[in-house]
This record gives sequence, structure tokens and C-alpha cells, in this order.
Amino acid sequence: MHVVNTHDLTKIYDNRYIALNALNMRVEKGQVYGLVGPNGAGKSTTFRILLGLQKPTAGSIQVFGEAMGAERADLRRRIGYLPTNPTFPKSMTPIAFLQFVGSVLGMPRDRAKIQLSRLLQAVDLTNAASQPMKGFSTGMLTRLGIAAALMNDPELLILDEPTSGLDPAGRKQTIELIRELSGRDRTIIIATHILTDVERVCTDVGIISAGRLIYSGPMADMRRLARQGTIAVEIEGNTSAFEQEITTLDEFGSVRYERLGSEFRITFLGTRSLTDYLQRVLQLIDRTGVELLHIDTGSDEIEEAFLRRLEDDRTRGFLRAAAWAAALDGGVDGPGSSGSGANGGTNGNTTARTGENADAGIPGHPSV
Amino acid sequence: MQAFLAILRYDSSQLLRSWVTRLWLPLLVMPALFLVVVAANEEELASETLAAYVAAVLMPLSALAVAVLTAGAIAGEAQIIADGILSRSVTRTEFVSAKIVARLGFALIVFTLVMVPFTYLVVRYAAADVSYGGLIVALFTAALLLTFLGALGLTLSTVMTNVLVSVLVLLVTVLASGLVLQFLGLRWMSTTAVLTELAPTIRGETPAWDLFRVVFVFAGLTAVSIMTTFSVFRARDL
Repeated sequence: MHVVNTHDLTKIYDNRYIALNALNMRVEKGQVYGLVGPNGAGKSTTFRILLGLQKPTAGSIQVFGEAMGAERADLRRRIGYLPTNPTFPKSMTPIAFLQFVGSVLGMPRDRAKIQLSRLLQAVDLTNAASQPMKGFSTGMLTRLGIAAALMNDPELLILDEPTSGLDPAGRKQTIELIRELSGRDRTIIIATHILTDVERVCTDVGIISAGRLIYSGPMADMRRLARQGTIAVEIEGNTSAFEQEITTLDEFGSVRYERLGSEFRITFLGTRSLTDYLQRVLQLIDRTGVELLHIDTGSDEIEEAFLRRLEDDRTRGFLRAAAWAAALDGGVDGPGSSGSGANGGTNGNTTARTGENADAGIPGHPSV
Repeated sequence: MQAFLAILRYDSSQLLRSWVTRLWLPLLVMPALFLVVVAANEEELASETLAAYVAAVLMPLSALAVAVLTAGAIAGEAQIIADGILSRSVTRTEFVSAKIVARLGFALIVFTLVMVPFTYLVVRYAAADVSYGGLIVALFTAALLLTFLGALGLTLSTVMTNVLVSVLVLLVTVLASGLVLQFLGLRWMSTTAVLTELAPTIRGETPAWDLFRVVFVFAGLTAVSIMTTFSVFRARDL
């Protein structure tokens, strides 16, 4: 069952700003889903609609298989939410606030007290538990927000920038906490622009850009995507001989490279495996007699893949719009429809849930 | 219901801690005590003393306090409401109901706390000229005016995002309505007319029909304001 399922979710503010553009997102039970995107991509708007705090302009959203809305307190009871840079009543102490959250959730007072003590300890706020929140740092408020989100032991946990404003120790602690919370049938959705966080905790990832989900799939596929095609080598010796022969490593036009001093970043656009390309690079090193200082097949891999996805999406925007218009003219399903075949994962509006469409979106395998 | 009670408790505690409350009560009590002493010594008419206090002290000060407490009820806490309250298992209806009950209830409790002892002392020590029926209707009408003002303030707080602007719009609306209603030949509907009629009402001299239409109109306007608050807040993005 999909815990979250959006269909062509669109949000336009005041007929001026398109925050979400026919977003199709599906999150399954038990997943730790990372929603990654630059600032203003639509992550927080997605969450606000998902919680019934905002109404979609068009499209639909289902949570636990039911339509979400402002009056669906029953669905929200099963959700824990941490907003980005949370704002809580400043005059309240963490204990009073968590007690309030417990009472809103209908928890018996004793159980709420046990739970809040446990959570305040887990988020390292025991020492500040009786202080008013007005003196709290952003990090402390975020940690309190995490505790509040966990008061009802939710089935779905939504964390909007959970590590924002935290110091390295707090960040590590939060990541560990999320790891602990995953599993046991709990679904977690994390919005962030810190890619290393996603890499460390998420089982699945979605990339959102300008209100559209431009990639969605398992983290393992994203890693594979990232690794595919790029090898960085640092060499010394007859580097010009090496440079001259780089383009012969694969078919004409299938190899690109950039040189930064003694380092070469070689990108293969062909369909062979990374192992094959790696073998060819090593053979070239041997043939040209240069000395290998360092070789890397995956530094900053996720970030690289993420940026490539965004760039890819930007450059294909026009083609996608044309494809959409053609689909509409032809009276067939647009790119947003499921099962749009070859358009698969790179088609801005299509959700390539799980791995089935993910390959269609591998950089170097243009599908539009 | 649990969410409603939790928000009601939370909002009431916020109101008790508010600086408005700390100023409002002493500013109402001190002139009241002074008037009781003067009325007792000078043998002033109880009806005139009560009406003067309501028109010159209680209503202006309370209007200001109620405007601040209600016009900022939602507008001033939009982020807290979204992050801390409505993202949890609370419906908009529960939230607005709790806010209305807390804010209007608080205003009426303050009104009762001040007016009941003050009325008792004035009636006991000043020259007695009151009709008990008229007195109850007059106090009820004054309380209704405050309730209407509070309800209108809550409506504005759901429509507007700036607290200061909401407060100003509310106060200007109430003040300007007197002129507009006079122009329309409906002066009896204005708050000023109701307040100037308080002394005869306390003495039991105002015709029942006049009292009924005032109560009916302000009760109706209060109900419309509350319904508007519900409907606007339910449709609003947070």
C-alpha cells in the first residue's frame, strides 16, 4: 500500500507562483524516502499539502489510502511532523509543550509524561526541559520538534530539513535517531538539500525541481546512477600523450573529459559497465607510461548525480513541454501518466517509482 | 474534544500571562473603586454612575483590550498554529472553536469580574433608582457589544496577516460605523447610541421593543462574524 500517493498535485499561489507542478509522488510503507531539491523547489509545500495545512490548486493527495484535508485529524494522528526551523510558543517550556502535544493527541497524562521524558533524553534536551523556549537556538528547537513529532509514535514521520541549524554532533545524533526510527513498518519522509544526510539514511530518493519530481527511485539505483560513467584519475609523467588518447577509449563522441592540472575527469556516455571503462582507463595509463597517483570512481557521487539530474531537467524542459502538448493533442496520456513507456524516469512529470523506470533516466541515456 | 480542551487550556493560560490582561484589569478596577466612593459620598444616581462607568471607562478600555486579544488570535500566531498545533491531530473546527471560546469567554469573565461587584456596590451605596430587570438587560447589552467586537476581531484575524492592521481596522470600523449608521438613519444600531441609552435602560425606561431590536441585531451580527471566522479559516492556507 502507498502511504503517500499524489496525482498531478499542483499548487499555484495567488495565480503568480507555481510551487508544485503536477507532482506525482508515491511512498511505500517502510521506506525512508529522501526528498531532495534546491531551496524553493516545493518540498515544504508538498509537506504542507500532505498534512492538510494547505489545499492543492489541482490534483489529489492520498495519505494511508485516504484523501487528506484540513479536517482529517484522524489521518494526522498517525503522522509526526517536524517543520523546517520550527516556531513554537516561546513562553512554554519543552515539558509543557510536549504535554500539550500529548493532550492534543489524546494521550493519557501518565503515558505522555513517560514518553516526553524518554524523548527529551533522546534529543538531548533534558537539561533545558524546564526553561522557556524563548532562549532556544534553532538547533534546540529542531530537536524539540523531533521530540514533538515522535510523541504519538507515528506510522509516518515527515521531517523537513531535520539537520538544519544543528551542530555536527547534533546532526550526527539526529541521523542516528532517524536510523533507529526507520524500520518497524514506520515510513519516514525527509526533505533536505544536504545530500550526505540522504545517502546515510534513505532507502529511496526523489529529486524535486521547480515543483516537479524529476527522479524517484531506490537509493541504490541513485548510487549506481552516480557511479556510472565518471572516472577521475590523477597522473604524472607524459600527460599530454594520455590526454590525446582519451577520446579513443570508447566510440567517437561517447567520451568527454575535463582537465584540472594533473587530474582528468573522464565521463563515458556509452552503455558499457563502469568496470569495463575502468579497465580501459588503466590500460591507457599503462600504454602511455604515465604514473597513476590517484583514481576515483565515486567522489561526491550523489551530489554529482543530483546536479546532473537538475541540469538534465533544465535542458530538456522545452522538449518535455512539447511532448506534453503533443500527448494532449493526440488524446493520449501525457507524460505525467503512469506507464508512459520510453519517456520513463526523465520525463519531468513521471514518477519512476522503484527501479522499473529508473534506468530510463540514467544520464547518458537520454530518453526524451 | 480532547484537542479542543487542550487548545482551550493552552490559549487561556496564554491570555492570563498576557500583558494586555495585566493592564486591563487594574485599569478597570481603579476607576470603578473611585466611582463607588464618589457615588456614595455625593449620593449620585446609581443608574447614571453605572452608565457613565460603562460608557466612559469599561467600553473604551475593554474595546481596546478585546481588539488586541482577538484581532491577534490567529494572525499573530499563524506560524505557531501551523507548526505546533494544526499539523497534529486537530481539525480547523476544533481549533477555531477553542479560540473563540477562550477569547470571548475571557473577555466576558473579565467583564463579569469587574461589573458584578461594581454594580452591587453602586446599587448599595449610591442613590437607588435602578430597575433590576433594566439593570440585567443593560449589563447583558454591554456584554453583547463586547462579544460582537471580539467576534469581529476574530474574523479579521483570520482574514488579515498583520496584527496591528487588524486591530486598527477593527477599531476604525467600530468608530466609523456610528457615522455610517447615522447617515443611513439607523443610529439606534450604533454602539454609541446603545451606550447613551444605558442610563434609561438601567432605570427601566427604555421600551422593550427598542431593547429587543438592539439585542437581536448584535446577536445576529455576532453569529454572522463567528460563522465567517469558521468558513474563512477552514478554507485558508497555513
